Amino acid sequence: MLKELLDIINSIRKNSGKQPLENISETTNLREDLGFDSFDLAELEVNIEDRFGIDVFEKDIPISVSDILKKLGR
Amino acid sequence: MQNKTTKNVLLSGASKGLGLCICGKLLKSGYRVYAISRTLSGHLRELGEAHKGRLFFKEVDLSDPIGAANAVFKGDFIPRAFPLDAFVSNAAQSYEDIVSNIDEAKLEGMFKVNVFSPMLLTKYAIRNMLLNRRPGSIVHISSICAHTGYKGLSMYAATKGAIESFSIGTAREWGRRGIRSNTVSPGFMEIGMATSLSDEDADKIRRRNSLKKAADPESVADTVAFLISDGASSITGQNVCVDCGSR
Ligand SMILES: NC(=O)c1ccc[n+]([C@@H]2O[C@H](COP(=O)([O-])OP(=O)(O)OC[C@H]3O[C@@H](n4cnc5c(N)ncnc54)[C@H](OP(=O)(O)O)[C@@H]3O)[C@@H](O)[C@H]2O)c1
Repeated sequence: MLKELLDIINSIRKNSGKQPLENISETTNLREDLGFDSFDLAELEVNIEDRFGIDVFEKDIPISVSDILKKLGR
Repeated sequence: MQNKTTKNVLLSGASKGLGLCICGKLLKSGYRVYAISRTLSGHLRELGEAHKGRLFFKEVDLSDPIGAANAVFKGDFIPRAFPLDAFVSNAAQSYEDIVSNIDEAKLEGMFKVNVFSPMLLTKYAIRNMLLNRRPGSIVHISSICAHTGYKGLSMYAATKGAIESFSIGTAREWGRRGIRSNTVSPGFMEIGMATSLSDEDADKIRRRNSLKKAADPESVADTVAFLISDGASSITGQNVCVDCGSR
């Protein structure tokens, strides 16, 4: 699951000209550690929805990787 | 086999009037059109037969914005991973009366069709473009009424003003992802919703513009086709009046 998230995150980083990351952890903060702005987060949202069939941003915006994992039920 | 270079367009209100004209134009230009409206008209069916495999239709009622967005984007009509290149929001209803007679239920119904549904469909169109990394184009059909006052059309004009502002904001917000948004404001056309006008009123409107004639739906459809084409790749946040010079 973390590996799949990392792949999505790196494809978004690549799209906005950022270097890929080696790894992420549950405490990784989406804005501060990944440098994601609202547009990168929107891209993350639609990609997670496409991969896992769940809109993890529907009710509130996740702050960290663990928030996403919780919403995905892992 | 689907041709990968064929562009996919979602078009609302394709069953008649201007939407039917836009649909024909886009099919002729080689687009694949995903058409929605409450009815599948004979004319639309004929277009589908003349352009086999490039016209897809779904019965959708825009008076229920969430139901409409789900019907278009959450089933197999336009699946998430199916890349959308453009959304042309043409469907609208007109509720005519003078302001002192405003009926709240009719007002709300019109705003659902003319404003809320186009906004929700734009939401999912952008999400689709974002997922598929497409530099998509959105065109909303507005109206000259949004810029020039007409007796009895204040409430209808307000829906068009809302959608023009929404388009300007969308353009500013999503330009960074290559997504463009523009509006086209037709003047009075001798088709569709304007056919309910009396001859006298229609004549008055014609006399008010520079070319002294009704706007040609073909000219409006050509403008829409241009705005979603690569030729318009540097145009966003604009409103194009196709109104025979009404201002
Ligand atoms: N005619 C003019 O002079 C004029 C001038 C300026 C701007 N405009 C604008 O041009 C656009 C087209 O107008 P038109 O004159 O061609 O009107 P029209 O002939 O009445 O066509 C309206 C289209 O919208 C669809 N529609 C209406 N309500 C709907 C609903 N609840 N759910 C789904 N689809 C719905 C209709 O299909 P169904 O009935 O099958 O659902 C039809 O295809 C509109 O945005 C209008 O505001 C028209």
